Amino acid sequence: MRRYWRVFREFFRTCLVEELEYRSEFMGNLLSSLFGIGMAILTIKVFFYQTDHLGGWGYADVLLLLGIFNVLQGLIDFALRPNMSRLLQHIRTGTFDHILTKPVDSMFYVSFRHLVFWRLIDVLLGIGLMIYALIEKHYMPSVLDAAMFIVSIGAALVLIYALWMMLMTTSFWVIRIDDLSFVFNSFFETTRFPISMYRSWLRIVLTYVLPAAFITSTPALSLLGKWNGMTTIVSIILAGLFLWLSRRFWRYALRSYTSA
Amino acid sequence: MFRKYVVLLRMKYVEMFAYRLATIVWMTGAMVQPLITMMVWMNIDPHQENAFIFYFAALIFVERMTSAWDVWEMEREIREGTYSYQIVRPFHPIHLAIAENIVYKALFFVILVPVWSILAIFVPAMRLGQINGTQWLLFFCALLLGAVIRFLFSYMFGLLGFWITKVTAVYGMFEAVSLFLSGRIAPLSLLPPSVKTLSLYLPFRYMVGFPIEILNGDIRGLDIVFGFGWAVAWSLIFMLAVMLLWKAGLRKNQAVGG
Repeated sequence: MRRYWRVFREFFRTCLVEELEYRSEFMGNLLSSLFGIGMAILTIKVFFYQTDHLGGWGYADVLLLLGIFNVLQGLIDFALRPNMSRLLQHIRTGTFDHILTKPVDSMFYVSFRHLVFWRLIDVLLGIGLMIYALIEKHYMPSVLDAAMFIVSIGAALVLIYALWMMLMTTSFWVIRIDDLSFVFNSFFETTRFPISMYRSWLRIVLTYVLPAAFITSTPALSLLGKWNGMTTIVSIILAGLFLWLSRRFWRYALRSYTSA
Repeated sequence: MFRKYVVLLRMKYVEMFAYRLATIVWMTGAMVQPLITMMVWMNIDPHQENAFIFYFAALIFVERMTSAWDVWEMEREIREGTYSYQIVRPFHPIHLAIAENIVYKALFFVILVPVWSILAIFVPAMRLGQINGTQWLLFFCALLLGAVIRFLFSYMFGLLGFWITKVTAVYGMFEAVSLFLSGRIAPLSLLPPSVKTLSLYLPFRYMVGFPIEILNGDIRGLDIVFGFGWAVAWSLIFMLAVMLLWKAGLRKNQAVGG
C-alpha cells in the first residue's frame, strides 16, 4: 500500500512538472471552467423559472447537488479521463506489453499514470458552489451530517472508479472507438439532477443497476441532514461490489489479451 | 460537378462504414441529454407530459439532422498541416465536407425514421396524425435551412482556425450559449420573455427550435414567414462569411506554409 502511495506521488510530481510548462494556458482554462459552471447554474435557473421544486428538491438543494456533481466531474477529468485514450493507444500499438512487465499493478498504472492538474479548478468551483448553496439554504451541517457526507462521497468515488474501469476495460475488445469516455459521460449526466426526479423503472435502474443515485443524490442528502443509515450502508456495499466486479473484469481481460 | 459529387459521396460512404460502431455509439450518446432534459420538464409540469415527449423526440431527430462537426476536424487538420492536401485538390474542400454531411445524415435518417415509427405504436404522444401537408413541407424546408445554417456556422469557425489556434474552445462557448437560445434546454416558449425575444433574431433558434415549432403547431401564419425570413438571412450571412474567410485564409495559410 505504501509503495503504491509513493508511486502515485511520483506520477503526481512528473505530471505537475509537465503541466507547469504550459502555465500560459492557465487563464484560458480558468475562464472555460468558470464559463462551464456558470452555464450549468443558468440551466438550473431556467428550470426554476417555471417551478420551485424539482423531484421534491428546492433550488438551493439542486445547487448543492450541482456543486457535488462539479467536484466529481473535476476529479474524473483530473485523474481518470486523461488515461482512457492512452490505454486504447497502448493496446492498439502493443506498447501495453511494457506496462505488464512493470513491477506495479497494471490496473493501478493505467488508471492513474496521467493527471491533468488544471481540472482541479472545477473541484474548487464545485466546493464553492456547495458552500454557496448551504448559505442560501441557511443550513449548517452538523458533525454527523458531515461524517455521513464523507462516507457517502467516498463510496461515490469508489463507484465512479469501478464503473469507469469497467468501461475502460472493454477497450481490449472495442479498439475501433477513439474515446469510450463518451459513454461514461452519457451515464454521468444523469447524476446532475436529483434521483427522485426520475420515474418508476428508470429510477430503479439508476439506483441498483447503474447506481447513479449513490453518486450525487446520497451525498447531497447527507450534507443536508436528510441521511439515512440504511442508504449509506447500501452505498458502501454497492461500491465494494462494483470495485470487485471491475477488478474481476480487468483480470479476465488481461487473460484474453494477446498483444498486438 | 454532379459526377464529382457521386464519387465524393461514395468515398464518404465507405469511410463511414469503417467507423459505423463509433457513429452509432456517438449517436445514441447524443440522445441522453435531451432525454434527461425532457424528464426534468415532465417533472416540472406533468400536465404537459405529452407535449414534452413530442417536443424532445422531435428535438433528438432535428439535432441529428442539423448537427455539425466540421470545426473539430478542421482545427485538427489545420494544426497538423493535413488540411493542405485538401486545399490542393481541384475543388473547394467544402464539397468534401458537404458530401460527408449528406452521407451521415442520410444514415441518421434511415435509422431514426423506423425507430420513430415503432415507438409511435407504444407512445401515443409521438403519433403524427395531426400534422397536415403544409406543415410537413414547411418543416422539411426549415430543417434543411437549419442544417445549412449550422453547417456554415461550424465551417466558418473551422476557417477561423487559420488565425486562432484554439478555435474549438471559442466554438464550444457559442454552442453552450446556443443550448438556451436554440430551444435545447427548454422550448423557447418557456424561457423568460426577454430571452425568447432575443432568440428570434439570433441564428441559433433556426438551427434547432424553429423546425420543431412548426411541427408541433407552436407557431403559425406570419410567425412562420418571419422565421423563414431570418433563417434565410442568416444562411446568406454565413455563406458570405465563409466565402470571405476562405479567400483571406488561403492567403494567410500560404504565408505560413511558404
